Amino acid sequence: MDTWIDLAKGSLFRISLAICLLGVAYRFGVAVWQINAAHRRAGDKRLPVGVIVRTTVQWLLPLRLFRKRPIYGLASLAFHLGILLLPFFYAGHVNLWGGVLPTWWPRLASGPSDVLTFVAMAGLIVILLARLLIKSSRDLSRAGDVGILLLLLGLAASGYWAAHPTSSPFAPRTMVLIHMLAGNLALILTPLTKIVHCVLAPLTQLIGEIGWHFPAESGRRVAVALAKENEPI
Amino acid sequence: MAIATSYYLEDMDTRELPRRFLDVFSTILSHTNYALVLDAASRMKARCGRCADTCPVYQVTGEQRDIPCERSELLLQVYRRYFTFGGNLRARLGDTFVLDDAYIERMAEDYYRCTACRRCKLECPLGVDHGLITHLARWILAEVGLTPKALVVATREQLDGKSHNTSGIPAPAMKDTCEFLEEDCVDEHGLKIEFPIDVEDAEYIFFPAVSDYLLEPDTLMGNAAVMMATGASWTIGTDDFDGINYGLFYSDRLLDRIVSNEVAELKRLGAKKILIGECGHASRSAKIFIPAFCGGEDAPEVINIMEYTYAQWKSGKLKLKPNVIKQRVTYHDPCNIARSGWITEEPREILKHICVDFVEMTPNRQDNYCCGGGGGTVSIDEIREFRTMTGGKAKADQIRRTGAEIVVAPCANCKKQVAEVCQDHKLDVRTCGLHDLILEAIDAPEFMIIKKDDDEGEEA
Ligand code: SF4
Repeated sequence: MDTWIDLAKGSLFRISLAICLLGVAYRFGVAVWQINAAHRRAGDKRLPVGVIVRTTVQWLLPLRLFRKRPIYGLASLAFHLGILLLPFFYAGHVNLWGGVLPTWWPRLASGPSDVLTFVAMAGLIVILLARLLIKSSRDLSRAGDVGILLLLLGLAASGYWAAHPTSSPFAPRTMVLIHMLAGNLALILTPLTKIVHCVLAPLTQLIGEIGWHFPAESGRRVAVALAKENEPI
Repeated sequence: MAIATSYYLEDMDTRELPRRFLDVFSTILSHTNYALVLDAASRMKARCGRCADTCPVYQVTGEQRDIPCERSELLLQVYRRYFTFGGNLRARLGDTFVLDDAYIERMAEDYYRCTACRRCKLECPLGVDHGLITHLARWILAEVGLTPKALVVATREQLDGKSHNTSGIPAPAMKDTCEFLEEDCVDEHGLKIEFPIDVEDAEYIFFPAVSDYLLEPDTLMGNAAVMMATGASWTIGTDDFDGINYGLFYSDRLLDRIVSNEVAELKRLGAKKILIGECGHASRSAKIFIPAFCGGEDAPEVINIMEYTYAQWKSGKLKLKPNVIKQRVTYHDPCNIARSGWITEEPREILKHICVDFVEMTPNRQDNYCCGGGGGTVSIDEIREFRTMTGGKAKADQIRRTGAEIVVAPCANCKKQVAEVCQDHKLDVRTCGLHDLILEAIDAPEFMIIKKDDDEGEEA
C-alpha cells in the first residue's frame, strides 16, 4: 500500500500536475491566440472594454445567480471556494507541494480546512441533486457531467477521512491512496474537460463580444468561396 | 429525403445535403471568427440547464430540444466531429455520430424555434452566447437552401428586386404615402409635417422599417413631427429607404450587402449620419454591422430615432406636454436594442413624462422577455400559433399582469408580434410605437400648428 501511496504522491502526482499545467497553459494560449487573431480580422476593432470588464466581473461574482437561485448560488460558491482553496492552502497539501511554494505561503489549519471541506461537500451534493432532480438539468446531463461531480465529492470525502483516520469507515491508508488517485485524476481531467473553465472563465465575455465582431470581408469571401457572388438570392 | 419543416421552404436541391452542409461550414469557418466561439462553447459547456429557466420557448414547451444548451449542442456536435482533432480521433475509436439528412432537418426546425433573443446568455454560468450559435447555424442552413421562404422572398425583393425593399413598395408609392401622411397629420392632428425626399447633404438619412409606410402611419408622423419641431436636417432616399435587414436573421453575407446598400444611399445623397426608425433589429444591424462591414471607425454614425428624440427633448429643443396620455401604458423592450443595454432608459423617461399611468413589465430592460417574434420569425405567418402561443406566452403573461391598456413596442417586428400575441391571448390592449404617443403629446412650435380655418383657407 505504501509503495502505491508513494507512487501516487510522487511520480504520478508530478506527471498529473505537468499534464494539468501544460494542458491549461495550452488551452489558455490557444484561446488568447484565437482572440487576438479574431480581433485583428474584425472589421470594427473597437471593443466596449468597460462593458466587457463589467460583465466579466458581474459574472465571476454570480450575483444574478444569488438573486434568482439563492440555494444553488450558495452551493456553487461553497463548492468553488473549497475546490480552489483546499488544494493550495490546506497545510497537509502545502507540504505536498514541497519547495514549490514560498515559506510565507499561508496554511489553513486542520479545523478551518475541515469546515471548508464540509461546506464544499454540501455544495457538491446540492449541485448533484439539482442535476438529478431539475428536469432541464437532468435532460442535459451526460455521464461525464455527473461523473466529474462524483469524482470531486469522492476527492473531498476521501481527503477528510485521510486526514481523520479515526473517523474513517474504511482503512485509513486506502483513503489516502484513493484521495491521491482522485486528486491526480482531477488534475489530468482539468484541461480535457469543462473544468478548464477555471482558467478560461475570465475570457468568456470577451469571446462572446468578439464573436459578434465580424471580419469586414467575411460575407464577400464566403460568397466567392461558395461561388455565389453573382448568384441571385 | 425531402426536408420537412413547420415553415415553408422554397424548392431546393436536397442531393448530398450533409456533404454540402459540411463544405459550407468549413468555408464559413475559414473566413470568419466563429471557430473561436465554437471552440470556447465546446470546451466549457456546463450543461447545467440554467439557460432553460430563462428561455421563453422552453418555459412553455418543457421539451428538451428547446433548452438553449441542447439546441447549441446540435451544431457543436457537428463542429467537434468534423472540425476538431478530438472529434476525428473519437470517430476512429468508434464514435458513431454521422451528419445525415435527418439531423440537418432537425437543425432546420430547431434553429427557427429560437428567436435569437439572447436572453439565455445572461444566465449561462460559462458565458456561452446561444443566440450567436443560432445565428451561425442559420447561416450555414441558408447556404444549403434551408431558410423560411418568407425571409428569402422579402430579402430577394430588397436586394435583387426593383423596389429595393422588403415590402416591394416602389419609390413613387412611398412618396405618395409620405404626401398622404403630411395631409393626414394636418387633418388628424392639426400639425404641419414634412418628409424630405432625396435632399442632398442632409445631416441624417432616415431608414425606418419599410413596413411602417404600410402599417404604422402614426409612428412615421410622430417621427416626422419630431424632426420638424427640432429643425432637423434629414432626408429619405428613394434608392433605398428600408432599414429592415433579414440578413441579421439568416446570413452574414446578406447582412453585409444590406448595410452596404444603406451606406451607399447615404453617400449618394451626401448625408452624414444614419437615422434608424423604430425598429430593433434594423437599429442593431446598422449600429453594429455598418462599422463591421463598412469601414470600422470611419463608418458613418448610426443612431436610433428614440436616441435622437430623447436628446432633443433633454436639450429643450423638443417640448412634450406632460400627462397627456391618460390610459395605463407599459413598455416592451425590443431585444435588439435592450439586451446589450443600448436603449432602455430614453423611452422610459419620455413615457413617464407624457403618461399619467406608466407601469413596468417584469422583468424588463436587459432582462426583458422577447415578444416571441424575434429572429425573423414574426414574418413567418405559417408558424403563427407557435409564435404567439408558445414564444409569445411569457410576453402575454407580462402584459396581462400590468393591466395596461397600451403597450409601447418601438419596433416594427415587435409591434406586429405583440399585437398578434394580444389578439391570440385575448388581451384587449392597443399596441403602438413610442412616436405614436409623442405625436399626441408634442408641444409643437407655432409654425407647425395649422388651425382649422388656415387649413380650410389653404384648401380654398
Ligand atoms: S436566444 Fe432566446 S429563444 Fe433562443 S434559446 Fe436563448 S432564450 Fe431561448
